[in-house]
Amino acid sequence: MIINKAFKIVVLSTAFLLVLVCLSFARTDHRDYKGSKLDECQDCHSGSGVMSNHGAFFMKEHRLLAQKAGNNCADCHQQSFCIDCHKGGGIEPDLTRSLSRGSEYMPRTHRSDFISIHSIKAADNPQNCYRCHETSFCTDCHSRTREKGNMKIKSHRRAGANSQIYNWNSDHAAEARRNLQSCETCHPDADVCVKCHSSGKQNPHPRNWRSIKSRYRDISNGRTCRKCHITY
Amino acid sequence: MRVMKFLVILMALACVPLLSHAAEVKLTSSTQMLWYQDILADQSEKDAAQYLRMSATKIDDEGKLNIYGYGRASKVFSSPSEDLQGRLYYFYVDYRNAFKDHLDVRAGRTYVNAAAISGTVDGLYADVKNLGPVGVTLFGGRHVIFEEKNEIGTRGDALAGMSVYLDTIKNTHVEVSFGRKYGDTDITRELLGLDFSTTPHGMVNFYGRLKYDTTAETYNEMLFGAKVAPLKDLVIRGEYYNSYPTFDITSIYSIFAVEQYQEKSIAAEYQLTSKYRVSVKYAKENFDSDADADVVEIGFLAKPIKDLTLNATYEQRSGYAGQLSGIRFYGEYKINKAAILAGIDYDDFRREISREGTVKKYWAGLNYEFNKIVSAVVRVEDNVNFNYDNGYQGYIAVQLNY
Repeated sequence: MIINKAFKIVVLSTAFLLVLVCLSFARTDHRDYKGSKLDECQDCHSGSGVMSNHGAFFMKEHRLLAQKAGNNCADCHQQSFCIDCHKGGGIEPDLTRSLSRGSEYMPRTHRSDFISIHSIKAADNPQNCYRCHETSFCTDCHSRTREKGNMKIKSHRRAGANSQIYNWNSDHAAEARRNLQSCETCHPDADVCVKCHSSGKQNPHPRNWRSIKSRYRDISNGRTCRKCHITY
Repeated sequence: MRVMKFLVILMALACVPLLSHAAEVKLTSSTQMLWYQDILADQSEKDAAQYLRMSATKIDDEGKLNIYGYGRASKVFSSPSEDLQGRLYYFYVDYRNAFKDHLDVRAGRTYVNAAAISGTVDGLYADVKNLGPVGVTLFGGRHVIFEEKNEIGTRGDALAGMSVYLDTIKNTHVEVSFGRKYGDTDITRELLGLDFSTTPHGMVNFYGRLKYDTTAETYNEMLFGAKVAPLKDLVIRGEYYNSYPTFDITSIYSIFAVEQYQEKSIAAEYQLTSKYRVSVKYAKENFDSDADADVVEIGFLAKPIKDLTLNATYEQRSGYAGQLSGIRFYGEYKINKAAILAGIDYDDFRREISREGTVKKYWAGLNYEFNKIVSAVVRVEDNVNFNYDNGYQGYIAVQLNY
């Protein structure tokens, strides 16, 4: 009985693998098309059975394609093409790109004076910034501007022109939960947060904390926990 | 010290052609002078930068062995106290089809990329491929972190991962990946990734991406989308994106509760004729039960006459975090060996939580090819914003391609 079952599993598995092998295919080598213009690429990638790409929204779409194993980006692009956009390099003369305040080349997604509009753009999917920037990139600037007048964020301001009350109590919780990375830019060690959100005070943890806290304790050897909990 | 190592490596690479007369060596050098405004120092700065990129291919008789490198040295010479700084972006040996057509290997400093984790490592990358429909990638090494104009990090920073992918049934790709990041020898991140993409018909493509943080036991990112091409020159895309930010385990922020970010978007792109393309996108962003935003983007690309390209985009955003209305316009015209470009950016913004205003950027540039080896570019820009009535920046670069 057991032998019959095992035999059936082996046969079915082998048949499945054979089907897969028969159906497998090799991706198209694009090296012969390296010199083609994008217009010519559309001849194959439009109406001929292959979905088009490198279109108007490719700046956002390319991430999924580039992170696929076995992708064909290298058939046409050197690694420097990717590195220059993601890490501020500039060996290729792309005249549409501006310089940042640190003389790095900014990607085309950073329109006009990106410093003025970056706080709004950073809210559009907060994780986008971290595809290119380390946290320290933000901290470097914000740690030096946090006391500058109207560059303060709303929850850090007074409730009125002559008020002695800050917006803090009413506004900071919602702002922090929506974009905690922005807090990290000025408070990298969360020393301010821990004053109120440590053991015995306001609980900062997510709902599933009971099931995951032991992993944080074990992996950090208790270091993360001891920031607030002396007994860890 | 690092810059010196970089230069030594470059000199060693210059000897590569001597090892094999059949090797093809390409060198690209870009010598640049840049000037810009440092808003924090409240002064204008001048930098000199030297870029060098090389590729040596077909080093062995079978043409499987290649070496690639790219780096930069720069110095702020308006501030005498600044040292020479450098970055080695990548430098690796690339051995294609090391074992028949089943193994590609990269060794050295290289960029590695998987759904679960990505980054630059000093280590190894291996792609075990063509095992029927299955392939496996493995990578690992010291994690290279670029900051300012050089590198940071300790010897204990590392990145490692693997992926198993399945390419079966034409135009279908499924991939599972795993990645770990170490900071100073401690595990700081552990992520699982799942990617799928299928084009069952030339007119329809479905794709998805899931990224799971094993420590926080939650999805870090979730993306599902579909692209439809009902007409030959029309592509419509709909996407749902969900993000739950997680932090390094060693960061105190990893213990805080956060809200999900959700985005639903629809976009369309239509090639009116071979010379004109129009695109439009709408996204609804949701930050929590009380905060959302709407984003609309419109784009237009035109090539009305030979060698002339015009590009215009408009974005309007309203809702949580602020209002934004921005336009970008630029054009390029090629005349013989020269290309002239110019553009304008304009943004009208109102931050919900601080100031409002307008921002303008005017720029123009010229790219001239003296011959196949030598070319030069120059770009000038004027920024008008809260900080500057006229914030000038620009650069001049001389390119050499051997």
